[in-house]
Amino acid sequence: MRKYLSIFRISFAQEFAYRANFIMWRIRNVMQIFLVFFLWDAVFTDPNRLVFGYDRSKILTYVFSLLLIKSIVLSTRTIDVAGEIARGELTNYLLKPINYFRYWFTRDLSTKLLNLLFAIFETSILVVLLRPPLFLQNDPYILGLFLISLALAVVLYFLILLIFSLFPFWYPEQGWGALFILFIFTEFAGGGLFPLDILPQALQKGLYLTPFPYLLFMPLQIYLGKLGVLGAFKALTVSAAWVGLLTVMLRKLWSLGLKAYRAEGR
Amino acid sequence: MSRNSFLAVLAQRLSFAIFLVGKVLRFLFFLGFLFFLLKGTNTLAGYGINQVIFFFLTFNFIDATAQFFFREVYRFRPLVVSGDLDLVLVKPISGLFRVLLGGADLIDFVTLPPLAFALFYVGRLLNPTTFEVGLFLLLVINGLLIATAFHIFVLSLGIITLEIDHTVMIYRDLTSLGRFPVDIYKQPLRGVLTYLLPVGVMVTLPAKALMGLVTPPGVLASFALSAIVIFLSLRFWNFALTKYTSASS
Repeated sequence: MRKYLSIFRISFAQEFAYRANFIMWRIRNVMQIFLVFFLWDAVFTDPNRLVFGYDRSKILTYVFSLLLIKSIVLSTRTIDVAGEIARGELTNYLLKPINYFRYWFTRDLSTKLLNLLFAIFETSILVVLLRPPLFLQNDPYILGLFLISLALAVVLYFLILLIFSLFPFWYPEQGWGALFILFIFTEFAGGGLFPLDILPQALQKGLYLTPFPYLLFMPLQIYLGKLGVLGAFKALTVSAAWVGLLTVMLRKLWSLGLKAYRAEGR
Repeated sequence: MSRNSFLAVLAQRLSFAIFLVGKVLRFLFFLGFLFFLLKGTNTLAGYGINQVIFFFLTFNFIDATAQFFFREVYRFRPLVVSGDLDLVLVKPISGLFRVLLGGADLIDFVTLPPLAFALFYVGRLLNPTTFEVGLFLLLVINGLLIATAFHIFVLSLGIITLEIDHTVMIYRDLTSLGRFPVDIYKQPLRGVLTYLLPVGVMVTLPAKALMGLVTPPGVLASFALSAIVIFLSLRFWNFALTKYTSASS
């Protein structure tokens, strides 16, 4: 446990070594929120308007919460895994007395903490500047379920990202391409740009069978109270099932990948 | 240089296919979102579904054309960090031309004809006059000139700060605010996007010209603006070159 605490501390410190990079990354996050905020603000110019089951305060809460939820769920260092496998640097880790997955999960937690701190600061400034009407959930059961869904989303994204990062075991030069496709699905099918319930029912049902809506959309639906307690439990069950399934898939692919690993460049 | 760049992409067909599929998926997802959104709301900031889709297509056409021409900018940082930019500057060809246009992107090139057809198809539904179509084409070229200036600024900043990757992505994020008409943004952001960071002139104005929603002074001002930003970007490039240290070479 102590070694992972050290990894957490070192990783946290490393983020400050590339301050310009980090600040630019945060600026990009804020700008993406601008696009979504003003889009929905234009749709809900009439404060009493109800569209797709959302009123102005709930949709703007969705948008602002995205900034915070993305910082928790999507902030990651695991994105470097594909490159390490492609360059043969994975060998360094295989020789060390650490668990490779725990190593990256620890690094993820450290970058999530830093990103969350910045996201809270940015959200506070944006709330002061834009003064959106926000919906505050005060039901402790719903808040508890929301936190559980968030924890599951963190693990789920870690597993998905790792699975996609294993692509270079077989195609060393295609790591970034696989991640590019993943990011597109995460943004659209995860609810990063718009709430998925604006889509037709048939499309929604199909999407809910994939793991992506459980990254951003479902936790926010739970927070907004749109699912109710029963619906929230159902969402958590599907999310947990995906975590289980992807864990098994990751182990299988990892073991196959290690057999195919040629440590090119080492 | 473009032929070499195309051959390099074609040498990795799987990568080419993955990125092409990714770009098409991103486009279709966003288009689908706009379609379903407008089906529920009917209008966005006073614009109908065909108009909003036309704004989106215009943005994509200008963005994809700029990426097609200026992909080499994304590969500029290693040249500066390693000092290999020396090898570009000593050659009997404009250094700026080489680092700006030296690696046209085949993937974006492939997406341009379908985008142009979609623009033509949706544009026809808006019933423009011949004059409005002509103005639209001129303003698209004007938008591309502004995009050129943006990329020269990014290159120059890269020489001074060694930072390219995020700066160019911030440029992409900024221009992506033009996916929708800048009318949806409130002041002062709308003013900033129209005049200071001329995303509005670059993307929104051409589409508005086709809809007959621009005034002659506005069009003239936009041409003047692109001439000014091109001039300033070239001055900034010359200034940045004086700060190049040729470190590591």
